[in-house]
Amino acid sequence: MVQEQVPVIELKHVDKHFGELHVLKDINLSVKKGEVVVIIGPSGSGKSTLCRTINRLETIDSGEILIDGVAIPEEGKKLAQLRAQIGMVFQSFNLFAHKNILDNVTMGPIDVLHTPRKEAREEAMKLLKRVGVDSQAAKVPAQLSGGQQQRVAIARSLAMHPKAILFDEPTSALDPEMIGEVLDVMTELAREGMTMVVVTHEMNFARRVADRVIFMDGGRIIEENTPDAFFEHPDTPRAQDFLNSIKHH
Amino acid sequence: MKDAHISVRDALYEAPGPKTRKYIVIATAVSLAALALLVFVVVRQFYRTGQLDAKYWSFLARATTWKFLGKGILGTLEAALAAGAVTFALAFLLMLGRISGSRILGGISTVLIEFTRGVPTLLFIYFFFLVVPQLGIKLPAFWKIAAPVAISAAGVVAEVLRSGVNAVPKGQKEAALSLGMSGRSVFLKVVFPQAIRYVIPALISELVIVVKDTTFAYVVNYPDLMQNAKVLISNYDALLSVYLVVAVIYILMNYLLNKASAMVARRRNSPTITPQQN
Amino acid sequence: MEIYELLSQYGDKYILALLTTWKLTVLAFASAFVIGIVVTVLRVSPVKPLRVFGDFYVQIFRNIPGASLLILLVYALPYLNVVLSYFTCVLIAVALIPSAFCSEYLISGINTIDVGQIEAARSLGMTFSKIIRKVVIPQALRSSVLPMTNLLIATMLTTALASQVPMNPTDLTGIVSHINTHAVGGVTAFLISAVLYCATAVVIGQVGNLIDRKVRILR
Repeated sequence: MVQEQVPVIELKHVDKHFGELHVLKDINLSVKKGEVVVIIGPSGSGKSTLCRTINRLETIDSGEILIDGVAIPEEGKKLAQLRAQIGMVFQSFNLFAHKNILDNVTMGPIDVLHTPRKEAREEAMKLLKRVGVDSQAAKVPAQLSGGQQQRVAIARSLAMHPKAILFDEPTSALDPEMIGEVLDVMTELAREGMTMVVVTHEMNFARRVADRVIFMDGGRIIEENTPDAFFEHPDTPRAQDFLNSIKHH
Repeated sequence: MKDAHISVRDALYEAPGPKTRKYIVIATAVSLAALALLVFVVVRQFYRTGQLDAKYWSFLARATTWKFLGKGILGTLEAALAAGAVTFALAFLLMLGRISGSRILGGISTVLIEFTRGVPTLLFIYFFFLVVPQLGIKLPAFWKIAAPVAISAAGVVAEVLRSGVNAVPKGQKEAALSLGMSGRSVFLKVVFPQAIRYVIPALISELVIVVKDTTFAYVVNYPDLMQNAKVLISNYDALLSVYLVVAVIYILMNYLLNKASAMVARRRNSPTITPQQN
Repeated sequence: MEIYELLSQYGDKYILALLTTWKLTVLAFASAFVIGIVVTVLRVSPVKPLRVFGDFYVQIFRNIPGASLLILLVYALPYLNVVLSYFTCVLIAVALIPSAFCSEYLISGINTIDVGQIEAARSLGMTFSKIIRKVVIPQALRSSVLPMTNLLIATMLTTALASQVPMNPTDLTGIVSHINTHAVGGVTAFLISAVLYCATAVVIGQVGNLIDRKVRILR
């Protein structure tokens, strides 16, 4: 007998409007522990918004979002505590400009988890080494390349020992030659069993690393499939059109 | 997608939950009550001291009052515009000195700029009011106020102009030089006109400082708004109300100038170069 | 009058005047800074009436001429049964005007922060007050060092308002008018005050630049 596992992230009938615009339409999605879910779709399809609702950077109009089976709190300390368990990596890195690289990584553990400073620093150095930017620890974000900054941002998320990490188009702001280094770190994370939700335009990454591909268009999940099935013979004509359109580019 | 123009002032808060919404409603009610109380206390003090009596405010209904205040405003604007023009000329020279590349000219300009920036306008006014006559120079009251105000603003404006010149892309100058234009005409016809465009908002807000400084015209007996207010006060025996009205006029005048500056800045979408306040 | 003659006769008074100017500058700037922070908190609060009040306050005091404000405090307030000493009137005028500019500089300091950094802090699980303390204030303060330096100099220049009321000891501007009404001070009397003002401004400016270079945020 296999016991039914509670999904780490679960969205039920989620709807959201931006004014007149209906950006999320009846979204249902669940992400199991250790699963890597890649969300793709044309720009404006709502995939970034979906990602941001999971830790309530965007609010929803109706429906439910559960983390480990519990609804996300709406405000206050409880919401903060929940966010501390979910990592987030942004398109524009969003490192703290007034802190050096090491302090960027230790800030969460020290100020939120109250980890002793020494311990936090040691672990941060390990994480920086793991993402390959330990030699830059004393520099400030503006002195690093985009690829390095994004790897620091990933280390900053990892330092919180999150249950899952959300990636909101992590390579879209990067020069082409730096995309690989960031995707390598993400691939490594996926191998180690991190639960990940990744919004991206990197089809090769989706194909290689994803356990499941979600295709969104017009605020709706159009297709949910294994990567092989999705890229070889998608079920829906819209997904087929989308794949054709990017192939021709 | 995110709104790119969202200000941090708004982004500090996330979408409120039900509890936060309740707090905000309560805080809004409490703060409205507190502000109402503040207004009430002030008005009551006016009432108790008899300052709300019609005799103190009836002057506002007379056409002659407004004619007189209008003349005062005109006096203020005349002095401010004359001072502004002189400021611009002086600032242009100081700026040329600074960017001339000559060590002597640059040094002199720097010292003069720092001097005018470090000395209060009032001290310059006393210089023109008290010291200049001792030197045997007789100036009309108009220039006794306009000249010191102009000098006092010159240093700041010189630096504003210089930052405007520095903001003009180098390629512009190189392109003009490669057309065979002389260095001087490149500066006057290509670089400086663009620099001016960058700094127009800053120049308008500098005019606010000039307008404020002209309020010291009473020191030299020049009939500006403030000086004319004094005459109204002795005519109607209404000091508080007249000075309040005058203050409001100044605030509105400067507010509009600042608004104009911000509007120009937005339309041109130019890099904002803000002068130091005075 | 020759410079040594002036100094032997009025040297003590110049020193007192300089100290008065410094005292007014420091007291006014410190008050302006505190008021500026409070007004800024009101202006960024989520409570609409407080925001409106804060904006209104700033528009009033950044646009009112110093002379106009001082005259209201000295000559008009007594009609409302509020009588303050000359020194207090000057101090209030010289604090309120810079407080409005202080708030403007703090707001633009806050606005230099990238919205994304606040979202990142939120995602790390930082509470609102922690985000304000650890991300917003440190960055806003660092980027307002130069504006605040200029504001300190501007505050010093505004203290010349003290010369418009009878005060003993008077300030650096008041003393020039004092000397010239008692004797012919000439250019020298003016220059001594001017140099003292300038020297103070230059020192403030240098220290400000030094601090700015240390704390400036690379972007």
